[in-house]
Amino acid sequence: MAEQTASRKKKNALFWLRAVCFAALTVLLLTYANFVLTPKHDYGICSMMNLYRQPKDSVDVLAVGTSLAYAGINTNVLWEEYGIATYDLCSAEQPFWVSYYTIKEALKTQHPRVILLDAKPAIYTRDYSKRGRTILSTFGIKGIENRVGAILACVEKPRDAMGYILGLPEVHSNYARLTADDFAFPPDNGGRGASWKGHIESDAVEHHQKPSLVWNSVRRNMNDREEEYARKIFELGRDEDIEILLIGLPNPDYANDHMYYNALWSVAEEYGVHGLNYNDPGIRFGLRYSSDFADWQHLNVKGSVNFSRKLGADLEMLFDLPDHRGDPYYSSYDECAEQWFEKYPTFESAKWEEHPLPWFEK
Amino acid sequence: MSILSLEFLALAAGVMLVYYLLPLKIRWIALLCGSAAFVALSGWQSAAHLSAVAIVMWGGGLLLQKKKSRLLLALFLILDLGAMAFLKYYPALSGAQWILPLGLSYFTFQSAGYLVDVYRGKTEAQKNPLKAWLFVGYFPQLSQGPISTWKELGNQLLTGHRFEPDGFVSGFQLMLWGFFKKMMIADRLAATTDALLKGGDLPGWFILGGVILYAVRLYADFSGGMDVIRGVSRMLGIELPENFRRPFFSQSVSEYWRRWHITLGAWFRSYLLYPLTTSKAGIALGKAASKAFGKKTGRAVPSALATLLVFLLIGVWHAANWNAVAFGGYFGLVMGASMLLEPVWKLLRTTLNLPKKGWMTPLRLTRTWILILFAQYFAFTLNPAQGLSLLGGTFQNWSFAGFAEKTTEVMAALEWIIAGAGCLIVLIVDLLCEKKIDVCGRLAKTHFFIRWPLLLLLILAIVVFGMYGAGYDGAAFLYTQF
Repeated sequence: MAEQTASRKKKNALFWLRAVCFAALTVLLLTYANFVLTPKHDYGICSMMNLYRQPKDSVDVLAVGTSLAYAGINTNVLWEEYGIATYDLCSAEQPFWVSYYTIKEALKTQHPRVILLDAKPAIYTRDYSKRGRTILSTFGIKGIENRVGAILACVEKPRDAMGYILGLPEVHSNYARLTADDFAFPPDNGGRGASWKGHIESDAVEHHQKPSLVWNSVRRNMNDREEEYARKIFELGRDEDIEILLIGLPNPDYANDHMYYNALWSVAEEYGVHGLNYNDPGIRFGLRYSSDFADWQHLNVKGSVNFSRKLGADLEMLFDLPDHRGDPYYSSYDECAEQWFEKYPTFESAKWEEHPLPWFEK
Repeated sequence: MSILSLEFLALAAGVMLVYYLLPLKIRWIALLCGSAAFVALSGWQSAAHLSAVAIVMWGGGLLLQKKKSRLLLALFLILDLGAMAFLKYYPALSGAQWILPLGLSYFTFQSAGYLVDVYRGKTEAQKNPLKAWLFVGYFPQLSQGPISTWKELGNQLLTGHRFEPDGFVSGFQLMLWGFFKKMMIADRLAATTDALLKGGDLPGWFILGGVILYAVRLYADFSGGMDVIRGVSRMLGIELPENFRRPFFSQSVSEYWRRWHITLGAWFRSYLLYPLTTSKAGIALGKAASKAFGKKTGRAVPSALATLLVFLLIGVWHAANWNAVAFGGYFGLVMGASMLLEPVWKLLRTTLNLPKKGWMTPLRLTRTWILILFAQYFAFTLNPAQGLSLLGGTFQNWSFAGFAEKTTEVMAALEWIIAGAGCLIVLIVDLLCEKKIDVCGRLAKTHFFIRWPLLLLLILAIVVFGMYGAGYDGAAFLYTQF
């Protein structure tokens, strides 16, 4: 009897050992399947995935926000012309609640001096993320607490979160769209390599007109949740001793956004946070609405160069940002910029000279 | 709660953990609590009705054990089956709308069978009401059966099972197999049925193909769900009766019904067909028919009539509409006629010296398929007119021009390939099983260097190619609505 019991125990122990090994293999396989099937589009996943591949504490300016920011903030111009180490950690239609968790995750490996916060989410009226791709943009976050936090903040009902947390329920049907690149680990960021800094250019050109509006200070209330998370970001910046600068990226559709931006600016003031709204007709930097936009919202290559030159000049004036050019620790910025300027040789290096920002002191 | 959901898997895993941690004698309490949670999560209506059925069954069983009274039995059966009939058919007749308790007819039939068994003295009445409740409310089988007798299930539920690694692994494999059939094949093929129901100018081959695929889908759906249920139970050491035995290899319609939804057929045979044919009236009818048509045919008359009645009831069990009547009546007529004509077939076989196997096998298979397919026209359509219209359409316009466009309109080419590969795998496994090869057993005995990659591939196929998650409006199991 005792022998039988011992034999049973031995058999069971062996079984559980095998079961654990099998479970581990299954998890490994499914994790890789999840990685392969996750669409590594430009709309946000890659910039987060790639941030982990950047040297520790190598980002001085972290830009977070929507596609307006990743299309407009040209990290290569900022580096090449000002030596500002900038990283675009943005995703399409990124609400403030995703920005918040994205920043928290980024702070694990980076401690930027300045966070550029795209003001666009101020106009979003929903208190959850309707589009799956917005939630999918959180898939690049490795830290489970921040990823779950971002997903829970995104979904309409908590029970919808499980599919996104597990990943595969949301992405498994992408098998029909797989290419050889999807299997590459780590991802090559659409051929841009690990030195890529998150800027996604658009070559298209659409003709637009300068938005026509009365520049006033009338406010329209932001969505409560956007406001809640904007406040959290401002508090996070205060707690972590990081300067936050709101950025209003120029866009032809701005007339609809103005009153929401005013509301955000007034919330930011409560925390001593300032902003630069480049839609302000008073800020001129040679942007042409007829040729500098790829569509009704996004700057194209030419527009991003124009805008980033101005942004670089403003950042240089506002903050004590070190020029890291020539520092081997920042060689990835050289690689990225070199690659980019090789692709777009017509844009020569040129600094912006004028600084019409009377309300800021360096 | 769907048995495909993460909630169900989490519940099953939790129940298993607690079950194997509890002392043997009280392990049934883990099943009871798990089942109670499952029922509670399915809605208070389900919980209330199931509990009422369990109370009637428990009390009825005790009374019938004390006093074997036909009147009492009839009373309890009317209460039990009557409530089901009211809940199922009143909305269809009156237009009222309510949510049916989950697995209504499965647990009702199970409880009715228990009452009859106690009355017949085949089963001891259960004294503990909680144990009686567990018999009808056992969570894995609640959504779509199988319909078990107390002998098959009751004692297994109440006797604590030791953890058996082999049984656990076998159950796990069976569960995966069920997920594969349901999620990779059945739910993918739902698009083909939808295309038929949408109507329009459909070529004959398209309709026939769609009807064949509906039959395949139904099999993959129902048997897949059953494999999940049996797999989970086997992991708990509980062996549920088989409900499907590769029905598409049947060589006659009666064999098909012995292989398709086996426990439903067994229930109707035990509690309706046999009592009818062995009743005084049945015997008298047999005698009268023997006088009129001769001994051989005459003897078959009561069975043929009882079969017709049983299949009409099976039809109506599926739904309260004319399609269901046509479906059941058709099978009843086919089987009744084949019983009555059996002497003629026998004579033909002897005269023409037709072999039982060999070249006759594919012929019999084809005949059975044709007979089964005919019924499918009324199984998925919304009314008999639509079924007849599709049936008529099958014999028209067999032009294959635009084949690629027509098929890719239904599903992308890759989806067809995945569905085809899935069907092929199921066919191969079923063929091996049909050849009496225990695929699951053999797999368990192979070296883990072979077994593990195969299982991992199966998991990967389910997770990647299964129909679930984003953008997919999960098709419920076709047989949960009963």
